[in-house]
Amino acid sequence: MKNSIKIERAINGLTQEDLANKVSVSRQTINAMEANKYVPSTVLALKIAKVFNKSVEEVFSLDEND
Amino acid sequence: MSKLFTMSHKLLLSNKYKMIGWIIFFPSFILGLYLTISGYEPSWLNAKVFSIFPSQIFGDKKFFSMTSVNLTNTIVGVLFIVGCLLVGFTKEKNEDEFIAKIRLSSLLWAVFVNYSLLLIAFVFIYDTAFLSVMIYNMFTVLLIFILRFNYILYKNSKSVSDEK
Repeated sequence: MKNSIKIERAINGLTQEDLANKVSVSRQTINAMEANKYVPSTVLALKIAKVFNKSVEEVFSLDEND
Repeated sequence: MSKLFTMSHKLLLSNKYKMIGWIIFFPSFILGLYLTISGYEPSWLNAKVFSIFPSQIFGDKKFFSMTSVNLTNTIVGVLFIVGCLLVGFTKEKNEDEFIAKIRLSSLLWAVFVNYSLLLIAFVFIYDTAFLSVMIYNMFTVLLIFILRFNYILYKNSKSVSDEK
């Protein structure tokens, strides 16, 4: 699964730490998602999309391997 | 929050017990290693204790009876297991779903590695030497799990601090 968390963070002027606090996870988790090392739960994906005021599909999308 | 996550969090103790776990873990680990190598059993730890299962080698075949033993191994073994459980099954400071996933995959990894090692030992180690394998093997699942889990956590926190 691909995501545009890093880009959306830059647009909204948020650091990894800021985003982590907003969705109440650790900074490690945000970092791992941006590095495509971790696929978040549906709950977390929904929370992250909400922070960016976007739909989940705009932030997260399937890649060739899914 | 999903039911699955609230459930998995309920099985973990609060983070404040982790430090207590480490304080028990290290001395009992070192003491345990020393005892298995030296076989040291101080006589002031001889005691009569309640036992469920009788020793079958030395007569005395009564279930649920009192028996005379040396408590050195019992105490160190109990401390080590309690230490391992506290270290391995308490929440991290920043517990979340990613860390829960790392914990579960570390546990899976530890069981695989432990039984692979045991399989090798089963085939290549015999007689009394295998007795030592059995003694160590009582503790290795927890030990490998703790090592693996903390290594992965460390690796992840490092890759975070590298990134700005």
